[in-house]
Amino acid sequence: MALAEAGDSPVPLRRRRLRLDLTTPTLLGLPLAWLAVFFVVPIAIVAAYSFDVYSLNPGPHGFTLAAWRDFAHSSVYLGLFWKSVKMSLTVSAIIVLLAYPLAYYLALSGTKRKYVLLLLLIAPFLTSYLLRVLAWKVILGNQGVVNSFLYWTGLRSADHPLSQLLYSRFAVMLVLGYIWLPFVALPIFVSLENLDRRLLEAASDLGASRLQAFRRVTLPLSAPSVVAAFLFVFIPTLGEFVTPSLVGGATGYMYGNQIVDLFGTGFPDWETGSVLAIFLLGVVALLTVVFARFLQPGQVAAD
Amino acid sequence: MDVALSKSGARLLRAFFALVVVFLYAPIVILLIFSFNDSAVPSFPLGGFTFHWYHQFLTNSELKGALGTSAIIAAVSSAGAVLLGLLAAISLTRRRFHGKAAVSALLLSPLVIPYVVFGISLLLLFHTLGVPRSILTVVIGHVVISLPYTILVLVPRLDQIDVSLEEAAFDLGASRLRTFRSITLPLILPAVVSAFLIAFTTSFDEYAVASFVVGTRVTFPIYLYSALRFPNQLPQVIAVAVVVMVLSLVVVVAAEVGRRIAERRIGSLEGAG
Repeated sequence: MALAEAGDSPVPLRRRRLRLDLTTPTLLGLPLAWLAVFFVVPIAIVAAYSFDVYSLNPGPHGFTLAAWRDFAHSSVYLGLFWKSVKMSLTVSAIIVLLAYPLAYYLALSGTKRKYVLLLLLIAPFLTSYLLRVLAWKVILGNQGVVNSFLYWTGLRSADHPLSQLLYSRFAVMLVLGYIWLPFVALPIFVSLENLDRRLLEAASDLGASRLQAFRRVTLPLSAPSVVAAFLFVFIPTLGEFVTPSLVGGATGYMYGNQIVDLFGTGFPDWETGSVLAIFLLGVVALLTVVFARFLQPGQVAAD
Repeated sequence: MDVALSKSGARLLRAFFALVVVFLYAPIVILLIFSFNDSAVPSFPLGGFTFHWYHQFLTNSELKGALGTSAIIAAVSSAGAVLLGLLAAISLTRRRFHGKAAVSALLLSPLVIPYVVFGISLLLLFHTLGVPRSILTVVIGHVVISLPYTILVLVPRLDQIDVSLEEAAFDLGASRLRTFRSITLPLILPAVVSAFLIAFTTSFDEYAVASFVVGTRVTFPIYLYSALRFPNQLPQVIAVAVVVMVLSLVVVVAAEVGRRIAERRIGSLEGAG
């Protein structure tokens, strides 16, 4: 069968190549259709909802910017958004600063066990998210590990627990930092690992001190990975709602929690909720597009 | 002289590294300690040693049901994500077509979407279509979330293997499917397995999206979340936490080590051939 085909004139061969090219839509069809139906269309529905073009509530509908206008003039929602931005920015900045020396140590200290140590660093990130939050709930609570340890050792009386530990903005930021720290070290490590050592030697030969070589060579060359690491944390934590709902209390309440509550059982307002959701999505999309050249997940995964 | 780091600098960084590792593992160790603590409240001073909480969770049918539901959802959704990811990865690495950059951006975009936004979007979709929330709706969401991860694992591997092997099989008359089955698939199998495991652990642990589309049969993370509100369940939840954490660590580390070993072996075969 195959031989007969191969023995034919070049025409069927070309036809076979042609059939091959036709398979690209067949291959891509399924994944793209899945994303179209279960990813793009749902987001379009939310967008339509935010303009009241579409609604599940009975009654007349039509295009209106009312919900968007309310949002733009709402000090509550925008204030909450800025608060979330500030919290995410702080967490991302702190853990990138912490992760850089870790990655630097692994990549450039010449330690022989660097991949073992890297795995040691990243492994916690690969365990359950909720369970890591749970651990901090156990540690920080009024009856928790820290406070009960303080009572037990007599450093503090049980009537005066360190009550700001759990259910606070601090708790949310601590837990988010804890969760994302291992992950941010990864892109920085990859970039430092790929750094051409000869550049540092050249700098040294030309009389640069280690600090100068770091400032003029290493830092500029690893800067894109620092930006990427920063965004890898900032983007997901900006819309975070699980951690603040578990350890945030009232002061740790974030923008994401507001979206959940607007779709929740209390006083649902899906139209406003849709506006908040689309606004968040827009901000994230904008960040992704603007910083697209830093965000090349393939490079990180390729290691 | 080392140009990157002085001796004392290296010592300083090593100490800092050790400190961070302690910070990362301390909460996990604390959970481990309190999972054996004979007290209904996880606090100091420690009580006696007990297996009570482990025993209790082994007899908790609600909890076991949730673990089972999550396992089913994770297995089905990761199989789906790997299948779709394979199709997409082959297209991206083996085909030329217009708008490849846009297609690949779309395929990877679930990586950056805030899960709260995706969750409510799916919720509105299922409301609109009148689809009741169930295991199936969670699976649908998890396939979308896991898809980019499978693509990110499969694409580099497909890029790595020698295309001339596939071309040779094809020129010798093997069909496209036959070429894939006999040549491509065996070569990328380690990556397929690790894509499956990554998708599986992603789904098994996923709370945010599931919380919007879950039906009456709750998943493990949903169960955990609600159990966190009842302090009397805390000790046995901690026991489960320890088991799940240790298991997932073992699976992830084994998968990564296994993939590297397998790819090295295949790599040496390729080199010899």
